[in-house]
Amino acid sequence: MADSAYKAPANATDTTALVVVPLRHPFRIAAITMVVISVAAILYSVFTNKEFQWPIVGHYMLNPIILRGLATTITLTVAVMIIAVIIGTIAALMMLSPSRLLSVPARVFVWLFRGAPALVQLILWYNLSIVFKTITLWLPGVGTIFSVQTNDVMTPMTAAIVALSLHEAGYMAEIVRSGLNSVVRGQTEAALSLGMRPALSIRRIVLPQAMRLIIPPTGNEAINLLKTTSLVSIIAVGDLLYSAQAIYARTFETLPLLIVVTIWYLITVSVMSFGQYHLERYFSKDDRKTGRGRSRGILRRIFSFRQRAAVA
Amino acid sequence: MTSRTSHNARFGAPENAMVFAAGIRKSYGHFEVLKGVDLEVPEGNVACIIGPSGSGKSTFLRCINHLEEINGGVLLVDGDFVGYRLNGNKLYELPPAAICARRAEIGMVFQQFNLFPHMTVMGNLIEAPVRVRGERPAAARERAMTLLERVGLAQKHDAYPRSLSGGQQQRVAIARALAMKPKVLLFDEPTSALDPELVGEVLTVMKDLAQSGMTMVVVTHEIGFAREVADQLIFMDEGVVVERGSPREMIASPQSRRTKEFLARVL
Ligand SMILES: Nc1ncnc2c1ncn2[C@@H]1O[C@H](COP(=O)(O)OP(=O)(O)O)[C@@H](O)[C@H]1O
Ligand SMILES: [Mg+2]
Repeated sequence: MADSAYKAPANATDTTALVVVPLRHPFRIAAITMVVISVAAILYSVFTNKEFQWPIVGHYMLNPIILRGLATTITLTVAVMIIAVIIGTIAALMMLSPSRLLSVPARVFVWLFRGAPALVQLILWYNLSIVFKTITLWLPGVGTIFSVQTNDVMTPMTAAIVALSLHEAGYMAEIVRSGLNSVVRGQTEAALSLGMRPALSIRRIVLPQAMRLIIPPTGNEAINLLKTTSLVSIIAVGDLLYSAQAIYARTFETLPLLIVVTIWYLITVSVMSFGQYHLERYFSKDDRKTGRGRSRGILRRIFSFRQRAAVA
Repeated sequence: MTSRTSHNARFGAPENAMVFAAGIRKSYGHFEVLKGVDLEVPEGNVACIIGPSGSGKSTFLRCINHLEEINGGVLLVDGDFVGYRLNGNKLYELPPAAICARRAEIGMVFQQFNLFPHMTVMGNLIEAPVRVRGERPAAARERAMTLLERVGLAQKHDAYPRSLSGGQQQRVAIARALAMKPKVLLFDEPTSALDPELVGEVLTVMKDLAQSGMTMVVVTHEIGFAREVADQLIFMDEGVVVERGSPREMIASPQSRRTKEFLARVL
């Protein structure tokens, strides 16, 4: 209050001598004390309890079998996410089609594969060979083109990729659909009025703008998916969890190995969250720097549509 | 002007008609928005359409470039159907690619500008010439600069639409439509979303276009513009043309009661 035009009367208290006494929060202090004591107790018991066998945890962190399992988990996540984004985008475009012949099947697809639990779908695909013994492509007049034993094709890994991709595609379809819906109708009309074909106008005009709303929830989905892939251990895919199980089935070091698995999941999720945080910041920046000229770098050029305006 | 055979004569339109609409009907479900609308715009002429909100003006413009399919009547642009191929007495629906090629010859300017916000002004102008017409980017860019100079925005070629004022955005939108070298330009209330002080700069560009011989169909509430620039004025209400004629005469002494009431409100 230094340079104020306000002139205090002569007999007033000197304002610079005032001291602010903060309000005390007795309950907050009590709560903090309890949390600190609990955390200390848990840490103490975890680190002193012999059952946790911390040296063994350290020993297995970089075990080749564990690392191979981690690689499988990451590969599975990436593959499933890519397939799910492709199928989900197609399903979303179909859902938005004015033709019922396209929109109804897409809706049924989403309803079915998003509705049924991932675990059930996983076991179902794995057991497909029981229902369909062979997969045959047969054309009238031409005859059998090829025929394979379902057991040969439907390996655990294939079953895992198919089941999780379809499940995830159901979620992606909804995310892409709401993103596309958010782009105002006038954008498509402007594109069409310039002679652009519907497919071109979606690719060049609608999708780049929808991306802003599609990217953040897709990041969430990828992180969720990473954890969901642990379900595949049930059909004997050698992912991170399954590799740990394989080891402790022999050595009975159950707890330390599960801690190893947990730590690896946490590390991977943290890395992904870090990436997601930056992506989201990228898209929420909302063009403070419009008209600043060409973006540098490939990533910037790919994502330069963040410079989107909120056209009424 | 084109290698296509003109159907104008066959449907009783004058040889020089750029836009010819006869008995256009359009319904949404059971609701008939256009109940037989006629319009004849000779090449190089400007037609202004006025009328209360909901009278079907926008729908009519959207029928002209086949954003909406008509349910009845004949609509020719430059002597040919936009969405169909006439063979004998049958109209065969054109495949999407052919419709888009025809639509590219009909420019449209919207009330809300509808610039592509994720592209620069230059990007907006060259997108369709490059992707639809297959023009070389360098050539398209060069022509775009000429067009931007024409609407007085050459220095803004690198800006993003949201950094421009409404008036500037609409001028860019006009330049974008011109980049496709359209045979006719449709305007749907191009100044209705603008602050009053920005209306003038857009109307100036439009006047300039009209003087250069562009065929234009303009839905507008700017009666002054209509009086000064238009060759004919059309008053629409509830899906029909209530009155048409020379702008000066119609504005000075409207014949129909509905026209009178409408003009009294907007003048
Ligand atoms: N896609 C549509 N579906 C149903 N009704 C519509 C659609 N577009 C316009 N209409 C209706 O058609 C009438 C005319 O609309 P419009 O052509 O926009 O009028 P104007 O441009 O003269 O204000 C309005 O009553 C409007 O509600
Ligand atoms: Mg309208």
